[in-house]
Amino acid sequence: MRRQHLALAVVALAGAAAIPWGMDDYALGVVTIGFYYAVLAASWNLLAGYTGQFSLAQQGFAALGAYATGLSIRDLGVPIWLGILLAAAVSCGMGLALGLLTLRLRAIYLAITTWGFAETVHITLTAGYQVTRGELGLSVPTLLGNLDPLSYYYVFLGLLAVSLAVLYLVCHSRIGQFLRAIRDDELRAASLGIDTTRWKLFVFALSSLLTGLAGACYAHYVAVIGPDMADFSELAKIVVMVVIGGMGTFAGPVLGALLVQLLTSYLGQFGAWDNVLFALVVIVLMRTYREGLVALGRRLWRRLMAWMHPRVEVAARG
Amino acid sequence: MWLAVSPGLLAQFTLAGLMMGVLYALMALGITFIYGVMKTINWAMGEFYMIGSFVQYLIVSHLLGPDLWWLALPATAASVFVLGMLVQRLLLRPMFVGGVERRDEYATVITIALLLLLRSLAAVINGPYQHTPGSHLPDVTLGPLSVPGAEVAAAVVGVLVLGLFFLLLHRTWPGLALRAAAQNRIGVQTAGVDLLRLDMVAFGIGVSLAAVAGGLLAPVYLVYPTNGAVATTKGFEIIVIGGLGSIWGALVGGLLLGLAEALGSALIAPAYQNAYGFLLLILLLLIRPIGLFGERARVV
Repeated sequence: MRRQHLALAVVALAGAAAIPWGMDDYALGVVTIGFYYAVLAASWNLLAGYTGQFSLAQQGFAALGAYATGLSIRDLGVPIWLGILLAAAVSCGMGLALGLLTLRLRAIYLAITTWGFAETVHITLTAGYQVTRGELGLSVPTLLGNLDPLSYYYVFLGLLAVSLAVLYLVCHSRIGQFLRAIRDDELRAASLGIDTTRWKLFVFALSSLLTGLAGACYAHYVAVIGPDMADFSELAKIVVMVVIGGMGTFAGPVLGALLVQLLTSYLGQFGAWDNVLFALVVIVLMRTYREGLVALGRRLWRRLMAWMHPRVEVAARG
Repeated sequence: MWLAVSPGLLAQFTLAGLMMGVLYALMALGITFIYGVMKTINWAMGEFYMIGSFVQYLIVSHLLGPDLWWLALPATAASVFVLGMLVQRLLLRPMFVGGVERRDEYATVITIALLLLLRSLAAVINGPYQHTPGSHLPDVTLGPLSVPGAEVAAAVVGVLVLGLFFLLLHRTWPGLALRAAAQNRIGVQTAGVDLLRLDMVAFGIGVSLAAVAGGLLAPVYLVYPTNGAVATTKGFEIIVIGGLGSIWGALVGGLLLGLAEALGSALIAPAYQNAYGFLLLILLLLIRPIGLFGERARVV
């Protein structure tokens, strides 16, 4: 791990851990959900940004995780921790299966097929109401037995930190290089001896595991889950978050998720117009500045450095 | 369970499935056609279906009345055609002239944002209400079967529109240019075709096919802000079944999907109607990952 990254991570974590003292319960809830989306965005980024597998099924895995824990607790009577583990296992298994199914598919076919998978999850959750209670929603016991926003804030912060640590280790190891090689040129990667099948499946399994885990925790936080969790608009949100933050960058999805979450909660005051305004913001951003927050940050940082050390800049140019 | 369905009922379901298939094919054709020319997937296709159904509803219920629905349809198609050209000019053209580096990513995000924009705008303007333009067409009896007139009319007009589309593509100069652009975007430019304008036309035609499907199905299904979601699902399923960029694939895929859904509903359970297409799709992918009529991309 590079020292700057470690320092940055410690500062970010300490900052996030300290922030709640200045916030009311509503704001805490907003950021907690932001952490949930950050896990989803980061794990989608592993698939789409790092490996180039433009899958559109992330929201389906979140819903699978949520319903896996909810149903196993209700019908099998397992304890909550086991329910969450089961959820992670189910999502991971389904991710692996979807990965296997779509192994031979490229680009747009992959996108459409994975999207069809997620839609089918959505439809099945809605139509199988005898089991899932459909649109009525499934009640799930809360994780801590209480509704104290502060404790859930730390639970989700911990979840995000663990997920990011795992993703960091993967992305900054040899595996990460394999993944980028697959993204840039799969055929060439294979010809260099990278087992592309294995690593693509690995990425599908890992990203759906993290997403399922997050979905399960989310279910135990909001206490009532519905099929909307697998709705396409959820995925639209995730994609927008990743792209605004910077696709294929490590910090981008997290920044994007938090920013979008804050933006949507701010737009919430406009009532029914919030989605309209949100879509307009995204369209304007895409038309004017589409490289993402991380690229913007880097550029500002370089500008700042050049301003502070003018001579270094000159030397670098020479 | 298999024997619980009488042959007569089965025939009715098959017929209903094929008729629905024609309209699904319209959706899929729009997607595949836009992809063929612009190499872009328009994720907001269902929203143009939705707009089509709303425009048809507004014209029929406020202007012409249900008897003149066939007169409203060209107006619906034309207005959505213009809207589509406008959208393409404002949002998608920068892909080709604005120095966008990752085109697929840009197109995906911008059309997903467009989907969200149009759908939520419709929800704000329309509220939670559902409408129907109504239909005075009498039921049609085919042998022992009786089918709602609006459905038959939709299927028949759907076939006519498909025929018109083929004539346009194969008997006119713009059609020739469009087919050429689908084969080779650079080649068509060297032949002196204004590709940027052609893209606008292609996008307009593609989305107006969706609008025609929306307008035709307005009296069959209800008109409401999210009615495009299911239509998009069908369209994309057909694309994967039939093969992206293939017009025959869209037609055959559409009919197959309609059939699979109708028979699945008849023989298994109607609540999962929208999931049968996906099962068909998975089966097909296991056998042929590029779809029925898709062309294997050459890897260099």
